[in-house]
Amino acid sequence: MTRILTIEDDETTAREIVSELTRHGFEVEWVADGRAGLVRAVSGEFEAVTLDRMLPGVDGLTIVSVMRSAGIEVPVLMISALTEVDERVRGLRAGGDDYLTKPFASEEMAARLEVLLRRARTQPRQTVLRIGALDMDLVTRQVRRGGREILLLPTEFKLLEFLMRNSGQVLTRTMIFEAIWGYHFDPGTNLIDVHLGRLRRKVDGAGEEPMIKTIRGSGYIIHAAS
Amino acid sequence: MQRPELWRTTTFRLTLVYGAVFAAGVVALLGLIYASAAVYLTRQMDEIVLGEARGLQTGPAAAMPQRVRDAETQDIRNVNFYGLFKRNGSWIAGNVRRLPIDVPLNGVPLQLREPGFQPGARALAERLPSGEILFVGFDAKVLTGLRSIIMVSLIWSGALIIVLGLGLGAALSLAPLRRIRAVQQASLPILEGDVSARLPTSNRHDEIDMLAAIANGMMDEVERLLWAVKSVGDNVAHDLRTPLTRLRALLYRVRQESGGSLHDNQMLDQALGETDALLGRFKAIQRISEVDRRERRAGFAPVRLKSLVEEIGELYEPLAEDRRLTLVTEAEAACEILADRELLFEAFSNLVGNAIKFTPPGGAVRLALSKQAEGPRLEIIDSGPGVPEDERDAVLQRFYRGRRDRDVPGSGLGLSIVAAVARLHDFRMVLGDASPGLRVTLDCWPTAMRY
Repeated sequence: MTRILTIEDDETTAREIVSELTRHGFEVEWVADGRAGLVRAVSGEFEAVTLDRMLPGVDGLTIVSVMRSAGIEVPVLMISALTEVDERVRGLRAGGDDYLTKPFASEEMAARLEVLLRRARTQPRQTVLRIGALDMDLVTRQVRRGGREILLLPTEFKLLEFLMRNSGQVLTRTMIFEAIWGYHFDPGTNLIDVHLGRLRRKVDGAGEEPMIKTIRGSGYIIHAAS
Repeated sequence: MQRPELWRTTTFRLTLVYGAVFAAGVVALLGLIYASAAVYLTRQMDEIVLGEARGLQTGPAAAMPQRVRDAETQDIRNVNFYGLFKRNGSWIAGNVRRLPIDVPLNGVPLQLREPGFQPGARALAERLPSGEILFVGFDAKVLTGLRSIIMVSLIWSGALIIVLGLGLGAALSLAPLRRIRAVQQASLPILEGDVSARLPTSNRHDEIDMLAAIANGMMDEVERLLWAVKSVGDNVAHDLRTPLTRLRALLYRVRQESGGSLHDNQMLDQALGETDALLGRFKAIQRISEVDRRERRAGFAPVRLKSLVEEIGELYEPLAEDRRLTLVTEAEAACEILADRELLFEAFSNLVGNAIKFTPPGGAVRLALSKQAEGPRLEIIDSGPGVPEDERDAVLQRFYRGRRDRDVPGSGLGLSIVAAVARLHDFRMVLGDASPGLRVTLDCWPTAMRY
């Protein structure tokens, strides 16, 4: 079972993280103090860490940079009440893999952590992504479903690539917006939905079983047609 | 801002008024001196004239012509005039050949107005017991001299007063003027919205210091109130956020774990949606505060607006199509500007999102970047209902929901975020009429503030 370390001083937030991650099938250890958290983080017993930015004892930024200099390369999801762009940059520069601001939806947190875990496990040098009958050639930039070629615009290609790299994984609208467009604000309306809608019309042709599914209130998931 | 001018200062004007009053005093004084001296000198001359006449009459009457001639010879200064005339007025002796007609024969000295004499000349005429007429005059030109002395004094003192007055006025005004300019300079940041700036004071405790102290006191109060208002807003947002997050987490867990009916699940989804909307609104409030708080120009780098605008167009094109709207993007290559790219993207995307939200199906939204002399200008023009002129300022405020917003979901914060970003960049945003529709113009160059 995948073991996750949660370093978080606020008990309510911690309980939320622990229960959500447990529900997703992880084994979670919670540490409330920065110093103890640092000791646990460098123990090498965990596959991922959720790390509060501001902690009593040792600060989150220090923990992640100590981890990195100790050669611990497990994914770190930084969680912070500091929303400023500079803070995000600082967190990522210190060695964090993703940055989530409080308040957050628990499923968003879990989805992000799963994406991080998956990224850590897959070899990055793949040139072909394949889910069921859907093939994406990253070199020739060709996409086929069964025998049918799918012509995609550059943005749609990036979108599908992101979905396929994380197939079977719920991706929230914010995660999609951040990954494809690279901005960190709430674009509001159903901006992401219409982009997904376009992509879906191309990927899931008439009479084909839908591969891209909407998860109500959360986001999107792609998986092989059964 | 109007520059203070020297001749408009109170000190300068006061000095001028003092100068004028002083000049009037000098004129009055010299006039008085002239008048008194004239009276005194006239009396002296009258006595001289009377004395001469009396002196000439002492002695035998027959020797009169000789005495007149003698007196004439003795008058080396040539200030006395004599004339001896027969009963019928024909000349006997003296340097006055013709008896002046306007001198009565009563022996009383009076002013001689004959041509050839200076003003102020005195003379008398008197009939002698012999029936002959004796005329004696005195014209020392003293009054003319006195007058010219007074005139010269007036001119010199006047010139001196004018030069000294202007000089003194300027000198006295310059120091306060310098301080006024310092105050003006110091007030610029306040006008630009920096409520923490204060006016400079010296330790002279003069009237300028008093005014500056009053203004500073008012600014303290303004700053305190602004801070109170802002912190109330921010604190409410912050304090409500945590319980709301917990509420959402609970609802989410219930939704995940409930084996409830479809109806229950629908209600739970609805509750989750509403909570998300609330959280979104609080996030937006904090976002505005954050943009306002951001260190000026900290995240600034050269930005090419053309690619940014095209990116926006591409991002929103599917949404426009979904709403059956035409989104036209026209991006002219404009010069690079120094800006925060991420914030500009957020602001532009808010504007385009708004335009799409408020334009009814079948309409059009135009996103145009044009090159102006001062820099790039972005215009977002929609064919929606527009914003009434009296609401245009208000829609930029936090939470304002205009008449057009009633049927549209939203936080009412989108335009406030744009306004905050424009403030940060010193850009000017103008809402105008595209008849029909709204035209938002964003001038992407720092506007020098004018007041």
